[in-house]
Amino acid sequence: MAVLTSSSQNLQVHRFPQDYYIDSLRWLPQLSAFHRHIILAAFDSESSTSSLQILNSSNSSSNPPELTFQSSLTTPSRITSLTTSHNPNKPLIAASTFSGSLLLYTADLVNGSLEFVDSVAEKGFHLGRINGIDVSENGSEFVSVGEDGRINWVSFVGGGLSTRKVFDSNGLVSYGAVKWASPVEFVSGGLGFGLQWWDQRRPGGPVSQFKANWTRGTTSGIVHSIDIHPSRKHTCLAGGSSGTVFAWDLRWQQQPIMLSGVGTSDLSALSPSESDVWEVQYDNYTTSSNYRNMSESRVLPAMICSEDGILAVIEQGEEPVELLAEPCAINSFDIDRQNPSEIVCSLEWESIAILTRS
Amino acid sequence: MPGLTSESDDLAMVPVSLETENQPVVNYPLRHGLKSPVHRLSFSWACGNTLRVSVFRKPQSEKADGDGEAGGRVVEVKLSNSGDEEVDAARWRRMAYSSVTPFALLQSRKHSLSAASRMSLDIPPYKAEWWEHVIEYSKEISSLLSDRKPPPKSIIEDAKSVVNEIAAPMCLKAAWELLEIFYIDKQSQSWIPERLLDWLADYNSLFSGTLPTIHSKLVDFQQELVGVQVVEDNPNYWDAMSSALAVGWLETVVKLLRLHGSYRFDQLSSRETENGLVEAVAVLISKMPRMRPSLREDNLGECYKTKPDFMKAWEKWRTQISKLDCSSYWLQCDHRQTREGLKNLIQIMLGNPTVLSNATFNWMELFISHFLYVRPFTAGLESMHNSAQKCMQVKPASIPHKLFGLVLGILGENTEVVLAECSRSFGPWMMVHAVELLTAGSTHAEILLHEEHSKLGGVSIEELHRLVYAQVLSSHALTWQIAPIYLTSCIKQGIRLLENLLYKQPVQHSQILLKSIEICRLYELDSINSNIMRIAGVHHWKHGRKGSGVFWLQQARDEFRLNRIAKQLFDFVGKSVSDEGFKQWEGLIELLGSESRTAGGLEFLNKYRDFRRSLLQVHGDTPTDAARNAAEALVSLMKNPSTPQRFWLPLLYDSLKLLMWQERPLVNVSQTQLLLNKLQELSMARLRPDFVEADLPSDALSSVRLALATNLGRAILEE
Repeated sequence: MAVLTSSSQNLQVHRFPQDYYIDSLRWLPQLSAFHRHIILAAFDSESSTSSLQILNSSNSSSNPPELTFQSSLTTPSRITSLTTSHNPNKPLIAASTFSGSLLLYTADLVNGSLEFVDSVAEKGFHLGRINGIDVSENGSEFVSVGEDGRINWVSFVGGGLSTRKVFDSNGLVSYGAVKWASPVEFVSGGLGFGLQWWDQRRPGGPVSQFKANWTRGTTSGIVHSIDIHPSRKHTCLAGGSSGTVFAWDLRWQQQPIMLSGVGTSDLSALSPSESDVWEVQYDNYTTSSNYRNMSESRVLPAMICSEDGILAVIEQGEEPVELLAEPCAINSFDIDRQNPSEIVCSLEWESIAILTRS
Repeated sequence: MPGLTSESDDLAMVPVSLETENQPVVNYPLRHGLKSPVHRLSFSWACGNTLRVSVFRKPQSEKADGDGEAGGRVVEVKLSNSGDEEVDAARWRRMAYSSVTPFALLQSRKHSLSAASRMSLDIPPYKAEWWEHVIEYSKEISSLLSDRKPPPKSIIEDAKSVVNEIAAPMCLKAAWELLEIFYIDKQSQSWIPERLLDWLADYNSLFSGTLPTIHSKLVDFQQELVGVQVVEDNPNYWDAMSSALAVGWLETVVKLLRLHGSYRFDQLSSRETENGLVEAVAVLISKMPRMRPSLREDNLGECYKTKPDFMKAWEKWRTQISKLDCSSYWLQCDHRQTREGLKNLIQIMLGNPTVLSNATFNWMELFISHFLYVRPFTAGLESMHNSAQKCMQVKPASIPHKLFGLVLGILGENTEVVLAECSRSFGPWMMVHAVELLTAGSTHAEILLHEEHSKLGGVSIEELHRLVYAQVLSSHALTWQIAPIYLTSCIKQGIRLLENLLYKQPVQHSQILLKSIEICRLYELDSINSNIMRIAGVHHWKHGRKGSGVFWLQQARDEFRLNRIAKQLFDFVGKSVSDEGFKQWEGLIELLGSESRTAGGLEFLNKYRDFRRSLLQVHGDTPTDAARNAAEALVSLMKNPSTPQRFWLPLLYDSLKLLMWQERPLVNVSQTQLLLNKLQELSMARLRPDFVEADLPSDALSSVRLALATNLGRAILEE
């Protein structure tokens, strides 16, 4: 437990050791101000089983938060990616697996229980690991990308899942991450810091492609995570190898906006991390006045977590603000949508950290 | 094969150990599910403690093949550590994780200090600084051994609670503290007996499992106490107090004394003398002189920092006790139990060996009681060791506790014994981390641990233990990634073993692959890094993920393999020259980039894509300039030595419309000659047996030749 002050903001960090490895975690929509739930994908190395678990995090201003176990369901294979819809009553939880299936659950926030809804696991879906999934804003459309080079569109209609193949590169390309931009558009990313823009009104292939050209001469990397801000759908934020974070603005297609990374000499001094950036998310925790003053062309502040144990907020042209510097990797994090001062992250050394900014 | 019971379905493995008395036999059932009798077994190690057993059935004759049963089955058996596990697996991993940072910090400080002091940590300013680092390290490790927070103290104190139950202590922590007391905490050297007393007070309960202890006696008495009305009539009351006093738990004794019936309001008047005696003993006990700088919370006694002060106070205190012992008030005390009990307490404080021996249950307790009451001025390990030997003769332990072995080794100043006890009882984690305390605290230990042994392959004992611990870490899927920290602190063999470890990691698992690459980056293992990427590339390629294969081979800058796979890739491309499937290739070509240095032979694909794009834009009504660009692309592709021969004809055939452009010839004379030469070369190559015919109409060659010839004529005319 540590309280540290960094750049005029107070930060409280609480760590909770667990007995299993955490592949991914997310906040669930908040039910009351004092109780909120975390969904996490756990992997127990002793029994080689993986499960989804709901933890209850109680928080009152006087006491340190406590994490209590609520319920768990065993999953058929290890989870690679976890996403939740923001339906406050019965949030949907979608998880993709190593074996190439997509699992759908609902969470009952009152009892803190999980219920299995449906899964897609047929042969034609994905071959091998699904690297990324995302759920649309309305919570009924999913898109999944895999290392097999397939992109599938999964709809949740009438209590069941139905799938449609969007693209199959037959392994010529592998995808690492995906994010919806609008109800019919999404962005995928993968090898060579490549990003692809897909539009379902123009099927058959990506509408637009981006390939990093700043890595000339040096080695290239992989995009691990993508985020798109609902208010700026033309800009796509991507994070990947070598501490690289960049934004790709569809209006200036060939020129990425570099935010961090050791591959580019002018930025390496500002880069909070030197190794893989596992997750990027826009960070809405800024005072609203600041937010409005931000020019259209500037990239909004973003939070990253990395292999070298950094959790930091980066902003175009500013010094990064480091929230955590752990001796082990930070695999995954999530900013609470309703209360962006709260962050939960999973550490490689089998523990969870909850951060509160004030 | 030992332990093999061949009743087909119920195979079990029974490890045969030479020390079967100490370790019970463990059965590991094998559920292989084969119906027919097992013919052969083969064993190999899988990841970590998992044994892979391949079970083969008897090869069947041909007619029996139809029963649909597999010829064998592979099962994995997880061998768990049997025996008394103080630390469960998850807790153990937590310890391993949290000891990484203190260990790494200490190593880096050691490096920078020895660099600054030119390899000698004995020069005073460096020594003092080094000492502080070691103390900090020791405290951090010690704190991680008790990660459970103590339970909150209840506000209302229970008058009858005599035993403070702290969260179950660990032998590991007890052992660590012992090492800390004797090797690191130099400030407490003068009051080691008192430190040992505190230590015993904290960890006495650890011995309760195997030996009778004062702690277990007090716990029993506490339960009894609840139902007892007149405590002073109960002999256990007096026994418990004398035992507690013998090992210096003064506060417990005083607390119990105050439960004495004579303190009650209704009895105070009738038992005045008796109460006076009880109180006098209680006061004497609480005023006992202690040779230590300060007391722990709730503890009683009076502290003296220097030996002369302490000796003076001690003599005075002893005189007071003797005076009380000879007092005439005893005759006026009617209560027999009280009189005898109090006299017994006084005998303990006067150091009566028989009484002390009766009040204690094992040699360690007796040893402590001797410090307190028989030889309070004992100093130096040698005299402590002698005293311990004597106590052991009085109270020999039937089952020696592992901590006792460690205590004896330390008191005997025998580093080998300390190491052996640590290694035998507390395992590799303890060894690797405790070695730092030993080398810092004892010159003899330092020489012993740092000396290189030829029979150990030239490594020192310190390095050997680090290697062993790294091996333990490597065997678990969640801890293997901290093994490099320990391996890189091994000068002789560490890097080699780290290489082995990295090569053993499965590359098909992208997370593990990226972790391996990160470790290579941190320790600047460039050649291993590119080898791992190469292995990953080939793996992905073999499994049909061509994009990933190409990506990793590019990262590894392996032009040789990129050229090899280029040949295979072209087979695919060649089949889909004009169909829509080429769309799939776009992504891969994007990935390849345009630089031949990183793409190897695949550079062709990029040019080919550009050519295709320009060709697709050319229609009958396209302006000639656009068509000319396409023609230029064609010529440059044909000129390029990296363009595979098998593409020549399809390329030319696809560009027939360029060669027969209506308006004017797009290809000049010399270019046309070049193309004709290529065509000629191709015709010659067709005669070779290994030539692969392109999938084109049979008249393709002749129509291309005709177009080229026509073009040549037109071009000559134009020029």
